[in-house]
Amino acid sequence: MPREAEPSNNAKAFLLQALRENVRLDGRAFDEFRQIDLSFGDEYGVATARLGKTKVMVRVSSEVVKASADRKFDGVFTISTELSPIASPAFEVGRQDQAEVLLSRILEKTIRRSGALDTESLCIIAGQKCFHVRADVHVLDHDGSLVDASCLALVAALMHYRRPDFEVRGEEVQIFDPREREPIKLSMQHQPFCVTFGYYEDGSVMLLDSTLLEEQCREGEVMISMNRFGEICQIAKYSGEPVDAMSVLNCMNVALEKVKVFDKLVKAKLEEDEKRRDVGGLMAELSAENAR
Amino acid sequence: MPLDTSTYILAHLRLDGRRWNELRRLQAQMSTQAAADGSSYFEMGNTKIICTVAGPQEQKSGGGGRSQQDKAKIEVEVNFAGFSGMDRKKRARSDKRTSEMQHTIASAFESTLLTHLFPHSTITLNLHILSQDGSLLAACLNAATLALVDAGIPMTDYISATTVATTASYADKEEEADPLLDLNGLEEQELPFLTIASSGGEDRVCSLVLETKVHMARLEPMISVGLDGCSQIRGILDGVIRAHGRKVLEGKVG
Repeated sequence: MPREAEPSNNAKAFLLQALRENVRLDGRAFDEFRQIDLSFGDEYGVATARLGKTKVMVRVSSEVVKASADRKFDGVFTISTELSPIASPAFEVGRQDQAEVLLSRILEKTIRRSGALDTESLCIIAGQKCFHVRADVHVLDHDGSLVDASCLALVAALMHYRRPDFEVRGEEVQIFDPREREPIKLSMQHQPFCVTFGYYEDGSVMLLDSTLLEEQCREGEVMISMNRFGEICQIAKYSGEPVDAMSVLNCMNVALEKVKVFDKLVKAKLEEDEKRRDVGGLMAELSAENAR
Repeated sequence: MPLDTSTYILAHLRLDGRRWNELRRLQAQMSTQAAADGSSYFEMGNTKIICTVAGPQEQKSGGGGRSQQDKAKIEVEVNFAGFSGMDRKKRARSDKRTSEMQHTIASAFESTLLTHLFPHSTITLNLHILSQDGSLLAACLNAATLALVDAGIPMTDYISATTVATTASYADKEEEADPLLDLNGLEEQELPFLTIASSGGEDRVCSLVLETKVHMARLEPMISVGLDGCSQIRGILDGVIRAHGRKVLEGKVG
């Protein structure tokens, strides 16, 4: 079974010594994110997020399925995560890695359990037909902060996606092709984002957006998901040395600031994408001057 | 399942008649299983757990080259008895919730156990859940602490854990919101709650898991009440361990 190569003792000691002197190896401030880059694909519902070298692609798709018997008025929403060898040689195909389980649980709690996506709006005929929205998270490059990047990409993809429109006539359901009728945006109730804090030196140094090396050297981490209204969707501090309760509470305030930045970024990028797609509506499309 | 919690506003008594800062009845025993290296039985209200510890023992072959060799590896297995819940359903072995719980417990103890004293070895914790009625993760952590003490594995401090909920999930009901300590199963379904574990000092948070949506203004009272509950539980665990130690000294237990 392959696993991530341990950093050498010298590399670890160097990183920790630098942190003691308030320096990060890549020169960032402790609460500074790497360059965040968000781009959308040609299709609706494809988003790629980059945090420095970390790269995550999310693809959202939907199909019409039979509604489950115990949740008649709800559609289905699933998130599937995949850590493949393309991200890092430490990941293997088919083996459920601990990291993968945690990533999918955190995403599940952040997006699904907090009710970010309104599943009731995915219902077509109660108890019979509903949409199954599926989000596939593909990690393409792993250099730390996987959860943060995945969450960002996932929320962006969900906001970008449009499901086909439908019409119900009695028992008949007609699903319209995107060319027939403009597809419809999913109804999102809020947009949660995840911020991971890694801590060192007995909790006195808190780092945001750790690189892989920083992750391997840290004493523990706190993952916080919240939306821009300050509603916390999830906190997970699994491992690591105990920290002061006060510093956990301080993390919340920092996380809120960062979440607001994420929120603005996603909205700005979506607007940009919308402008790029907008060719002038149906009238421009039907113009006789267009190429055949 | 909507549950009527409105009675709380009237009398400030919870469904089972407790006040907001009351723990449920805690009962614990140590060395319950003769065959295991360490074992404990732990009850937190109606949540009942048996924990057994095997090890530190030689690492099983197969997983050999994978883990770090310079310290002991902690493995946790959580088993839900078929009769533990309301309805009898079989859980898949690879259930993500269970494996997250196992990871939480294992990594919580990695920070308190002196694992570097046992290189090339494994410590296996087996948690058998006999009855579930809320605060499951917290009860598992407490039971595991007792069993690890019984197994004689050196640790820096006990891990004591509990759950806290808040009666209002949004900021607009500021003055009505009360934190509630140590939830039972019904309260857990209804209210936003967190599991908090503390070790190594009064206000040191060892693990913290929150899964339901709650406003950040609610968090501070929840954490402080939780830490207070943790120190109460710590006192109870300490009492159990000392009583057991006395019995061993008097030769009443093998």
